Amino acid sequence: MKIYVPMDSAAKALGADEVARAILQHAGARGLDVQMIRNGSYGMIWLEPLVEVDLGQGQGRQAYGPVTPADVPALLEGKLQSLGPVQEIPFLAGQTRLTFARCGVIDPLDLDDYEAHGGLVGVKRAIAMGARDILQEVVDSGLRGRGGAGFPTGIKWKTVADADAAQKYIVCNADEGDSGTFADRMIIEGDPFSLIEGMAIAGIGVGATRGYVYLRSEYPDAIRVLTDAVDIARARGLLGPNVLGSPHAFDIEVRTGAGAYVCGEETALLNSLEGKRGTVRAKPPLPALEGFMGKPTVVNNVISLATIPVIFEKGAGHYADFGLGRSRGTVTLQIAGNIKHGGLYETAFGVTLGQVVNEIGGGTASGRPVKAVQVGGPLGAYMPVEKFDTPIGYEEFDQQGGLIGHAGLVVFDDTADMLHMARFAMEFCAVESCGKCTPCRIGAVRGVETIDRIAQGDTAAIELLTDLCDTMRDGSLCALGGFTPYPVMSALTHFPDDFATQKEAAE
Amino acid sequence: MHFNAPAPTSEDIRAIVTPLTALEGPLLPMLHALQQEFGFIPQGAVPVLADLLNLGRAEVHGVISFYHDFRDAPAGRHVLKICRAEACQSMGCDALAQATLDKLGIGWHETTRDGAVTVEPVYCLGMCACAPAVMLDGQVVARVDTARMQHLLDEVGA
Amino acid sequence: MKDFIIPQFPPGDDRDMGTKIGTGAPVSLVIDGIAVTVPAGTSVMRAAAEAGVDVPKLCASDNIEAFGSCRLCVVQIDGRRGTPASCTTPVAEGMVVHTQSEKLRKLRRGVMELYISDHPLDCLTCSANGDCELQDAAGAVGLRDVRYEAPVGGRLDNHFARRNGAEVNALYIPKDDSNPYFSYDPAKCIVCSRCVRACEEVQGTFALTIEGRGFDSRVSAGAIGDDFLTSDCVSCGACVQACPTATLQEKSVIELGTPQRSIITTCAYCGVGCSFKAELNGDQLVRMVPYKHGKANRGHSCVKGRFAYGYAKHKDRILNPMIRNSIDEPWREVGWDEAMAFAASRIATFRSIMAASPSASSPPAAAPMRKPIWCRN
Repeated sequence: MKIYVPMDSAAKALGADEVARAILQHAGARGLDVQMIRNGSYGMIWLEPLVEVDLGQGQGRQAYGPVTPADVPALLEGKLQSLGPVQEIPFLAGQTRLTFARCGVIDPLDLDDYEAHGGLVGVKRAIAMGARDILQEVVDSGLRGRGGAGFPTGIKWKTVADADAAQKYIVCNADEGDSGTFADRMIIEGDPFSLIEGMAIAGIGVGATRGYVYLRSEYPDAIRVLTDAVDIARARGLLGPNVLGSPHAFDIEVRTGAGAYVCGEETALLNSLEGKRGTVRAKPPLPALEGFMGKPTVVNNVISLATIPVIFEKGAGHYADFGLGRSRGTVTLQIAGNIKHGGLYETAFGVTLGQVVNEIGGGTASGRPVKAVQVGGPLGAYMPVEKFDTPIGYEEFDQQGGLIGHAGLVVFDDTADMLHMARFAMEFCAVESCGKCTPCRIGAVRGVETIDRIAQGDTAAIELLTDLCDTMRDGSLCALGGFTPYPVMSALTHFPDDFATQKEAAE
Repeated sequence: MHFNAPAPTSEDIRAIVTPLTALEGPLLPMLHALQQEFGFIPQGAVPVLADLLNLGRAEVHGVISFYHDFRDAPAGRHVLKICRAEACQSMGCDALAQATLDKLGIGWHETTRDGAVTVEPVYCLGMCACAPAVMLDGQVVARVDTARMQHLLDEVGA
Repeated sequence: MKDFIIPQFPPGDDRDMGTKIGTGAPVSLVIDGIAVTVPAGTSVMRAAAEAGVDVPKLCASDNIEAFGSCRLCVVQIDGRRGTPASCTTPVAEGMVVHTQSEKLRKLRRGVMELYISDHPLDCLTCSANGDCELQDAAGAVGLRDVRYEAPVGGRLDNHFARRNGAEVNALYIPKDDSNPYFSYDPAKCIVCSRCVRACEEVQGTFALTIEGRGFDSRVSAGAIGDDFLTSDCVSCGACVQACPTATLQEKSVIELGTPQRSIITTCAYCGVGCSFKAELNGDQLVRMVPYKHGKANRGHSCVKGRFAYGYAKHKDRILNPMIRNSIDEPWREVGWDEAMAFAASRIATFRSIMAASPSASSPPAAAPMRKPIWCRN
């Protein structure tokens, strides 16, 4: 029998390795013929470690979870209560899985398995199309950068393609530092070849022969998996001087970050990749024209690049048919925080925030009422329950004073103290500021102090905090200082009671 | 590297970083390699790296001091990183972290007196749907409660 | 190292134009209602300066690359979102720029309020009093109040006070007086990076960096334990000249006070002929500042011209021309007219002797060319 135990780091952090060891141990003791496959995660984190058993009798893979080592004897005896086939679990059944279609299904480091599930179709088609058509296909797909800014990917590629330079680069931004986000990590750990294939297509499209993945040091498992995957891809000719036998050369190097959130900002990332301090560069020049080593560079998020293969596999039209308004295709929501059914949920743009939190996520883990949802990471606004009818879309969230960012949602129950969360937003900005521009460097520290004054009942400090947020928003060089006012001001605006408690107590 | 180990020589340092010279932008990979080997970046590495990469000593120092990963002194025998980011906060990481620090009698970035464990904050381990999370010597543990934290501390003898 | 920037100025104009001028085809734009045409590649800030409009700035200086960190030079541009920094925004044809509006005033005041919240309020006793860009900018943006203060029982984090509340201020770094010619006082630093960039881009020594990050960012002259004297610094003084505050300050200014008048002169050392602005109080030389219009040095110099000007008042210094007819005669002090006439007549004599000599008809053997020497004396 085949047994699938995820090697996704969330599954491992919940005991997957112990379960895998127990399975091999018990199976050995019983003389069972077990083939163990360490797959990726399907993203139903509350069910992790989610183990699948395929008895090879035509019933397919039956899911169990969460499994503990103590459950293993029962699992092997067929006495453990099954969740049924994994695709029938409502959380997964309700999704539109394009980018994450293979994640959980395949062995992440088995290129044949990857190919058997639609992999490499895209890059082969791209090779046959030629550069101009590749660029047009990406434009037609309507894909926008999934890192947060939502810039049209095809336009960015065209800019790089049109730039005249002897060397161009594809840089994958895998510095996924936003709290509440883990899609990059999951796809790298669960389907790394999709990223490699996407980068290869990008390379062929814009005429770049070298690619870098800047992966944060907080993700050691992802670094290992991707490094192995790159080695395999090179050995099998997906990377190298002739990508899949074509005249196109493309290779990838995995680079590790060093503990700097700001390096998720593309120009800081490029500085860091060049071996410099990870400070933000003023734009212009755009990285597309003067990026890594001053050469034209595509900087794309992991999910943007990992979505490229399915666009080329199924066609731009297929992808663009999903979505809402100018937000085309699917969004890989990461439902996190105090949530009953947390995990990765890929769906077409347009689902509302309330549906995600209450229906898909099943409300809070604590069972208490939802107070706020921070959407888009530490620089995203705290959305109150009154805004739950906002559809997930770039423009839709913008109109509501928020941003979807990398599409992470962190749910808080009614015990959350929003003044404390506003203070943390400033504190985080102070810890992670690169220190280049004044509004962020000094402003974040002053923000913490000013919120402390508000907590002490100093009403004048509220006006000062508002002015400070204006200064940071309009004056900062990058989104770190520029967007920190989102969580701060949304907390202040939507939860004024939390900012008045101390004062009332004092009176 | 142990507290009492002799300081690495420039030859030791050069041997570790020289194979990486051909990389484009090799400084960060070199620093990672040094930290991997010694557990911190020895001061003696600054002139070696400056010489090898044709940089000013100041530039190398500026880079090392920018990144929180790079230490200028060895950590304790074990490093416990506790996530402080929002998702973990929504599941009570603040109380967990404070209780842990109180129990160990240290503050953030400090090492227990016996050198057993250094506790550091980390901002997101990507475990946001199974918070709160910590990382012990590179291994991530999720949905950490008081009991699980005690188990981890027992494991490292702290 | 970046390309050495050769600033171009209207003759006699000593203003800091903020950024270099572009080199492309002419581009016309309107700034605060004033039409101006500049080469493509020029920044909005420079174009404004060319049009006579001063945009407040702290991190920009026309001999280094635009950096975009101080956020004072923000402007509004019709049809564009937000408030871009004018130093890093290139001009575009037909652009309509506004450097003054209520929004911009508020933003600049907000930024300046942050700066001053981490700066000592000791202007009257500061060595840069009257010669401080931070002081000027605070005036230009109309900052009237700094509202930031410590929470009750808490601290207002800063780099300038030795103590913060009841505790020793861990952020305070004492003054570094190790360099004989200038001092570095981190308490006054606004982290504009002009010194670091001047060291890299003007001098090319790379002796400085910013260490740490965020609020902890500080100018540093090298690795842990280094000070300015043990660093790679060659004391050229480019950083001191670049500093908009008293953070990097000539010791002579600290001792003698802000100079009140200046004379353009030529360095008395080597044959390069660097131009200097000799800045004085009365006849007391306070400092020598490389002159930005000097054709040989364009605002930069070496340590000798910049700091080793002790010869200026030396008793052996030659103050008038001297001549003598032959080597065995003593020198004789004369006026300039007499000295020039003497030199001219001697050259004429020498020329006629050479013309009469037989070897003059055939070309002389090529003399070995001397390598140019950069300030070797």
